[in-house]
Amino acid sequence: EANTNSDGDAIKVFVRVRPLTQGTGLSTDGDHSLCLTVSSPQTVRLHCKPEPRTFTYDHVADMNTSQEEVFSSVAKNIVESCMNGYNGTIFAYGQTGSGKTFTMLGPSELDNFSDELRGVIPRSFEYLFFLINREVERSGGTKSFLCKCSFIEIYNEQIYDLLDSVSTSLFLREDIKRGVFVEGSVEKYAASAAEAYQVLSMGWRNRRVASTSMNRESSRSHAVFTMTLESKETGQEVVNIRTSQLNLVDLAGSERQRDTHTEGSRLKEASSINRSLMCLGQVIMALMDVSNGKNRHICYRDSKLTFLLRDSLGGNAKTYIIANVHPGSKCFGETLSTLQFAQRAKLIKNKAMVNEDTQGNVR
Amino acid sequence: MAANNSIEWRAVCEKFRLAQELSEIESKKDPENNPFRSKYKARDLLKEIHCSLKKIEIEEQGEAGDEADCESSQTADGEPEDGFEKTFTGDSAAGLRAARLAVLQYHLGVNHIETEELSAGELHLMVCMKLIDKCTTTRENVSLFIHVRNQLGILWAGRDEIEKAQGFLEIAETMYLVYMKEDGQPPLDLQDFFVPEGEELSQQEKIRRFEMAYTHTLYYLAQVYKNLQQYERAAQYCHSTLQRQLEYKQFAPLEWAINAATLSQYYITKTRYMEARHCLAAASVIANLAGEIPSEAAAKESEAESEKREELLQKRAEIARCWIKYCLNLLQDAKKLLEDNIGELDLDRQDELKRARRNEEEEKEKGRKSAILFGSSDTFDSICSLEEKVSSMLPLEFEEARSIFLVGQSYVTQAKEYFAMDGHVTDHIEILQDHSALFKVLAFFEEDLERRCKMHKRRVDMLEPICKDLNAQYYLLICRQLQFELAETYYEMMDLKLAVADKLDQPDVHTIKKFNHLCSSSMKYYQMFLDSTRSPEGKFPEKLEDDLLRPALVAKFRVARLHSKLISSNLATQMENLSLSLESYNFVVQYCEENPEAKNAVETELELSMEMVSLLPLKINRIRSTLASSK
Repeated sequence: EANTNSDGDAIKVFVRVRPLTQGTGLSTDGDHSLCLTVSSPQTVRLHCKPEPRTFTYDHVADMNTSQEEVFSSVAKNIVESCMNGYNGTIFAYGQTGSGKTFTMLGPSELDNFSDELRGVIPRSFEYLFFLINREVERSGGTKSFLCKCSFIEIYNEQIYDLLDSVSTSLFLREDIKRGVFVEGSVEKYAASAAEAYQVLSMGWRNRRVASTSMNRESSRSHAVFTMTLESKETGQEVVNIRTSQLNLVDLAGSERQRDTHTEGSRLKEASSINRSLMCLGQVIMALMDVSNGKNRHICYRDSKLTFLLRDSLGGNAKTYIIANVHPGSKCFGETLSTLQFAQRAKLIKNKAMVNEDTQGNVR
Repeated sequence: MAANNSIEWRAVCEKFRLAQELSEIESKKDPENNPFRSKYKARDLLKEIHCSLKKIEIEEQGEAGDEADCESSQTADGEPEDGFEKTFTGDSAAGLRAARLAVLQYHLGVNHIETEELSAGELHLMVCMKLIDKCTTTRENVSLFIHVRNQLGILWAGRDEIEKAQGFLEIAETMYLVYMKEDGQPPLDLQDFFVPEGEELSQQEKIRRFEMAYTHTLYYLAQVYKNLQQYERAAQYCHSTLQRQLEYKQFAPLEWAINAATLSQYYITKTRYMEARHCLAAASVIANLAGEIPSEAAAKESEAESEKREELLQKRAEIARCWIKYCLNLLQDAKKLLEDNIGELDLDRQDELKRARRNEEEEKEKGRKSAILFGSSDTFDSICSLEEKVSSMLPLEFEEARSIFLVGQSYVTQAKEYFAMDGHVTDHIEILQDHSALFKVLAFFEEDLERRCKMHKRRVDMLEPICKDLNAQYYLLICRQLQFELAETYYEMMDLKLAVADKLDQPDVHTIKKFNHLCSSSMKYYQMFLDSTRSPEGKFPEKLEDDLLRPALVAKFRVARLHSKLISSNLATQMENLSLSLESYNFVVQYCEENPEAKNAVETELELSMEMVSLLPLKINRIRSTLASSK
């Protein structure tokens, strides 16, 4: 069913509400008043004043939802599509402390593979290799798979390789055959879920190391784990090769993303006017977004992240966004902006169209 | 006024200097776990200065407390006074005293804002305002007037109260304009209040700082107007900001150039080509001020050189792409104006426009030009001479169109050098698509059909190889665009060949072969496009996505027409082609029956399809009977 429409509804949104906790050191500790209620499996009601507001998504999971349930609704279809040659992407978005890492990975320092609390990523590995093995068996040896993993981090618009802790920043490139890729990033082969998980935890550790030695916080960087799946089918003297990609993305805490459109009306300052100039360009750009279909060129490039994942944002790929929110009333502002972002995400589709010329062609 | 050389006064000045240094330089090195250490130190110094100032004042004056200005934090009482209630002139002793205290309040305000204590910061800024609002605006305090309002503007915009921010900033703007009109002498800078005698800033530096503060006012207003959705005004303020940066040499060349190029794109969307061209010419000239491009060899030697090379090349290529859009839109707008209802050049309209142009062009240009010019004395001439290389008027005939086309094409070449296919696939293809569009619109102005056909052939030659190689898994949308464009181009060529052939008595075998080839090529690409919408199992979608609805139905319609156009002397082949044609027409009609909302998108095509669905069977039957009787 997932495959009947190659580009319909490219982006789906899953909202997950984390439980209230204590003793985590978060400023929300001990605050028991909630700012939202899950009113149905598709809607969440935010207690705004004067009127509460209801938001609708593909799925809304309340505090009691299990990791298995999240995996089944979000990742299962995407992993299956990957087996069929589609690219797939899963994003986790939300405020720091809203449960992104728990959703994606599970509890920290988890090496036990059978833990009930393991997250979407380890479960995706298991399911992918389960499907691979089944497919290989069914085909009677005519089909084989090759799985490569890479793991990069985007911090301050620079790209670092998490599988090669000594690498300097890397560049994005585009190739006519393989699309957008990070030039020179390390690729590790994985033959089983356990091996893939090993690659992941190795990189994840590097991410943490980076956060102390260079004074960065992990929540200020985006981490992108990419699995490239290559299938080879040998028929009568014809070899059919198909590749697809699965991207698992842990986004920086939403409160850090100052450069996205979530900013509201704040003015950019010009304490040093050179630094602020970029922003003048952005003011002008904003004026053009309401243009009348004229063909114009925008000089400012996408951010590295959107460029890398441009295919997932309104292209030919299956994409799920998991928006994590904290229900505490102290988090009201952040939660509202996360919910609004998630709703806008539903509207992200490639604005470009097939360039059909409607003038003077019926003769 | 304090005795400018007393020991006490020197100590005050030294403290002030230290506070500035702490706040602006030391603070950048503060540790992560104590990020505002230097700012707090600076704050304490400012407070000390404030106290000693009070003390000096009391000693010197002997007549303490002329107003309720004892301690800052509890004095934000009452409404700020209006202009006509000024108590002192700005350059009186009392006025200067007030200004000096106000400067401290200003710095305290900014300090609190920077350390995230916004409300306290606001309070200080308001005290600052009150102090100087008692005085008339003069050389002594005008700079402070503008600075404090800039800060309040930022503060209120941050609280989402844009109108309030707008109020402060617009007053600052007016103040500047009035001052420049009525006085215009280099005003005192905030720093000038706390320097020992003989160490004041130079006149030139005073001007520079004052003008910079006002540039900031305009820059904030640009943002305010954008947030208020007053786009035209926002653009105007962006323009003025750029203009002033150039005038007072306060800019980084590359960034300035990119901003100007971006602004040109705004003007294009408003069909203001004269302004767009001016921005682009300025962008090109200013970008050249960023220095020589390091050679490839130098780039290999050092990372810094390599980065510089990359950046310069990229920015110049970006500006070239903005020029391409300029040429393209200018041509396309001219085409829109000149075409008749079947997309051909309307000769009467052309004459009419030429006449009109002769009459108005001069006066119109004169009126607008003076308002928009960029340039400092050293760059002005180069900008103007670059402008002269391309027209900003809509072309009305082939020669005019051609010269714009050629400029566009030279920028295509330039842009492609940096945005090479290897490494920049999407950008490269976008440039090729523009190049193809340039040829397409130039062909509109060409009267000779054979030559026109050759122009379309150029489009095919540049797009076809890429369409073959491009991976649809990653570039689905671009693939579809290319397929559709190629299909249309072949279709257009087919039409042109048909028009040429119609003039001949009897088309020869070669012409027919050529014609059929064009038909099948067009069909092939329409079919590829249609196939791209199928599921992996090969199923055509029952319901087309909104953004594919019209293109897909138009593609089906064209395929239908193309099948019926194929020339064959063989009756069986003729019959087969017509049946295929009927099938496709039927598809359009049936799809619209099942999905009535599609009807609006393809009104004309649907009407013709319905007509053909009723006519074609007769034709097919006629051939069938001829065939049967000939057996």
